Amino acid sequence: MIRVQSLSMRLASGGRAVDVLTDVSLEVPAGQFVAIAGPSGSGKSTLLGLIAGLDQPTAGRIEVAGVVVTALDEDALARFRRDHVGYVFQSFHLVPTLTALENVAVPLELAGDADAEARARALLAEVGLAERAHHYPVQLSGGEQQRVAVARALARRPPLLLADEPTGNLDSATGKQIIDLLVGANRRLGRTLVLVTHDPALAAHADRVVTLRDGRIVSDE
Amino acid sequence: MRRFVLGLAWRETRGAWRHFGYFLACVTLGVSALVGVGSFADSLERTVARSAKSLMGGDVEIRSTQPLPEDPAALAAPGSGPPAVTRVRELVAMAQASPDETQLVELKAVERGYPLYGTLVTDPAGPLDRLIGGGRVLVHDSLLTRLGLRVGDRLRIGDALLTIAGRIVTEPDRAVGVFSLGPRVMIAAEDLDRTGLVRPGSRVRYRTLFRLPAGADPAAFRDALAARLPAAQRVHTYAQAQPGLRRFWDQLTMYLGLTGLVALMVGGIGVAVSVSAFVKEKLPSIAILKALGAGSRPLLAAYLLQTLLLGLGGSVAGAILGSLVQPLLAPALTRLLPIQIELAFSLRAVLRGVAMGVGVTALYALWPLLAIRRVPPSMILRHEIEPRLVGRRPWAATVPIAAGLAALALWQAGSWKIGALFAGGLGAALVLLAAGARGVIALARRVRWRAPAWRQGAANLHRPGSHAGPVLISLGLAVMLVVSIALLDRSLRAELVDRGAGQAPAFFFIDIQPDQAETFAALVAAHGAAAPAELTPVVRSRLTAINGEPIAPRERSGREDAWYLTREYVLTWAATPPGHNTLVAGRWWTPEEAARAAAPGSRGEPLISVEEEIARQLGVGLGGTLTFDIQGVPITARVSSLRHVDWRSLSSNFFVIFSPGALEGAPTTFIATVRARPEDEGRLQSAVVAALPNVTAIPVREVLERVGAVLDQIALAVRLVAAFSVGAGLVVMAGALAITRQQRLYQSVILKALGATRGFVARVFAVEYALLGAAGGLAGSALAAALAWAVLRWAFDVPWRWAPGTLAAGVLAATGLALLVGILGTRRLLARRPLGVLRGE
Repeated sequence: MIRVQSLSMRLASGGRAVDVLTDVSLEVPAGQFVAIAGPSGSGKSTLLGLIAGLDQPTAGRIEVAGVVVTALDEDALARFRRDHVGYVFQSFHLVPTLTALENVAVPLELAGDADAEARARALLAEVGLAERAHHYPVQLSGGEQQRVAVARALARRPPLLLADEPTGNLDSATGKQIIDLLVGANRRLGRTLVLVTHDPALAAHADRVVTLRDGRIVSDE
Repeated sequence: MRRFVLGLAWRETRGAWRHFGYFLACVTLGVSALVGVGSFADSLERTVARSAKSLMGGDVEIRSTQPLPEDPAALAAPGSGPPAVTRVRELVAMAQASPDETQLVELKAVERGYPLYGTLVTDPAGPLDRLIGGGRVLVHDSLLTRLGLRVGDRLRIGDALLTIAGRIVTEPDRAVGVFSLGPRVMIAAEDLDRTGLVRPGSRVRYRTLFRLPAGADPAAFRDALAARLPAAQRVHTYAQAQPGLRRFWDQLTMYLGLTGLVALMVGGIGVAVSVSAFVKEKLPSIAILKALGAGSRPLLAAYLLQTLLLGLGGSVAGAILGSLVQPLLAPALTRLLPIQIELAFSLRAVLRGVAMGVGVTALYALWPLLAIRRVPPSMILRHEIEPRLVGRRPWAATVPIAAGLAALALWQAGSWKIGALFAGGLGAALVLLAAGARGVIALARRVRWRAPAWRQGAANLHRPGSHAGPVLISLGLAVMLVVSIALLDRSLRAELVDRGAGQAPAFFFIDIQPDQAETFAALVAAHGAAAPAELTPVVRSRLTAINGEPIAPRERSGREDAWYLTREYVLTWAATPPGHNTLVAGRWWTPEEAARAAAPGSRGEPLISVEEEIARQLGVGLGGTLTFDIQGVPITARVSSLRHVDWRSLSSNFFVIFSPGALEGAPTTFIATVRARPEDEGRLQSAVVAALPNVTAIPVREVLERVGAVLDQIALAVRLVAAFSVGAGLVVMAGALAITRQQRLYQSVILKALGATRGFVARVFAVEYALLGAAGGLAGSALAAALAWAVLRWAFDVPWRWAPGTLAAGVLAATGLALLVGILGTRRLLARRPLGVLRGE
């Protein structure tokens, strides 16, 4: 599903260049649940963002579901994400101007799904938020926002789910609900799941744990 | 405490200049419009005041349509030496270069000593008595151009053949009206007598000018003259020079000033939006300060002080810009003026503009600032929930805010009536626009758009934190102003110029003597008139008493606005009511009643029918009497009916019509309206002037074209000032866009992360701004239609004309401009890659 080859990312920070990722290579077969672990600043989230095509690497090649992500322009990347990737962010990142229902419907509408609203409604019901469909993000608690984000990520039935510390801003009980939803999608629906976490207990649920430190893979178990 | 307030205000201001860029731009634009207009008005006032003596031509003037009954030299200045005196006669006449080429001219006959003040500049230069007299005249350039003449050529005026001795370059006391009927011809007094144009009943303006010895009081001299002279002689000092001109310019600059005030009011909305966003951003800091023990009052004082400082900064910048703008505004207006305006910096206009700017800033900012009082210190404990303010909204504060804004409008207008109308109209427009904005936002929430970009764009109008409301109000207000000006211009032009050109007669002929009436009618019939000439008898008079009460001389000379008391009344008589006249009270006289009233020695009085509006102004009703002075003979007549006159009919209309026979023996001339095909007009005019040189032809189409040109100039000036409102409206919009920039950036990268292309995101923003522009344009155009209708109906008595093109142009232009602002404001956002933004880098 994912093939990452010699990936490097250098960013300017405070007037000097920082190597966020250095020569990272990784392969993830379809249907696998991979946890990417490591301390803060080790490059986990950057790696996940690059796999989703949210930014361009300084060097290296990424291929996802047979598409060479690193060769695509901005708009092609957008279409690639729409069709192949469901992304869950640590800070939820819901569109503040849209209600919960509209947020979930966005990827479906972008794909021209005629039944977008009904499907979005069903997904909200699945994550237990049918009653909150017409609330704006600011009117929802953190846990509720993240459940909306998960429903949105699953909306297009993407083959690849990427989750960036999805429980980082939540209490443990709420966090468990989110993990159950994501792992359920992996186990029941066969979606490939790549999850960034620095929580060893959470990583223990994964088929495989890849650990990063200072932008390099230091273990892959 | 004071130190805390001053310190906080200064710290917040120091770091906020960039944050408040749009705030400053809004205030600057509004104040610059006011200062630009105010400076021009002051420059005009100063120029007129400085040249008042030369504009009038003396310290004191006696003006009448009748000759002065006694020798002016006998009217010595009380208590000092004899004044210098000169007499001037002015009339319109026809100048003939050849039998085929004739031109309406304004003839001015002067005597030795003219001008008493100012300088007559001629080409060639020389003493006046060498340039005119003995059959020589001076003419304005435009006459030479129109008739293809040169200096040294001859022309005929009335019965006199005259030689053009030179050109008039500058004439100090030219009646500076907005437009003239024709080019000036200056002639010596004795030559005017040779033309045979001055006959009983001829339309001549007699002016006697005095230069008083040093130290003499012009007002005392005027009062002494007014007490001594008959009522028909009006006496003015130089301080009252050109009352018509002053009134016209006072009104024009007042309306321009109010147009400028709209720009400031629109800018005020931008101020409110900026302050509201600033307060929202500062809520956590305010909560922290409250948690540390700061009270609401000092916090409110500090932020109010900061706002006032910023308002002062914007106003000073606006005053500088407005002073610089004055030379741009002046050319559009000075084209209407034959005098050179000396443009100067006006401290009064600057101080007034700055005070207005600071006042509007404070009043508009007060409402959002009052939210500071409702910030609970507990807000610091709850981060993720949308901040909720405590207590009720301070609705009571709207009363002093509205009263303050109304007071500023009254101050700017300088008139209770106009100021109240402006404030009421603006208040109503704001309320209606606010209601319209709520409706649009509610509609955006309800409508289910099929296309995702449309759905998202429309959602931006009703999302939390949206500035759609203020943007719609400010844009709507600016559109209302601009579209209503276009509608008024269009309707007035259609009424006065286009309709006139289609329906008006070809000519008004004036000063036809009774013994010429038959010849005139035959001439007109023989030279291509489309219908027989309509000849109407006229008698010139002055009003001397109302219901038996004489009009006091002081009232005649002192009150500039009492034109209905001092004007010349042109009387006529008729057996039946003329067309375009409708009786609204009383009844028309029967032939018997008319005959009885006119019978010599009868006890019956002449009967009159009076136009309803002038009757109201004079305070005379059915059964009341008016007394007229006709060449020294008083005639008292009783009002038997009141009429509504359709002044738009472009026929000869009269305020007062007598019963037939009542004016028997009075010096009468005839006026005639003549219709002719355009190709016959030249031949007709030449034939009449050749046969009856004293008769003056006023070409109606040419006059209407000149009226149209004047309207164009006024409309241009008003549009220039109104452009500031549009500018302010767009700045409010751009400001709202800038305030929500982070939110938009965030929205755009999330959409991109979810698979939206840049084109899709651009379409979302385009839809939002196009909807805002279209809604603002629609609301503004609808209000403009209502405003134009009301102004046409009540101020001009002109029917409303449906102008779908103008209204549609208003909506389209607003949509286009809003789109442009939206695209310019968001195009950089589209290039940002999602990851960095989402991770807060």
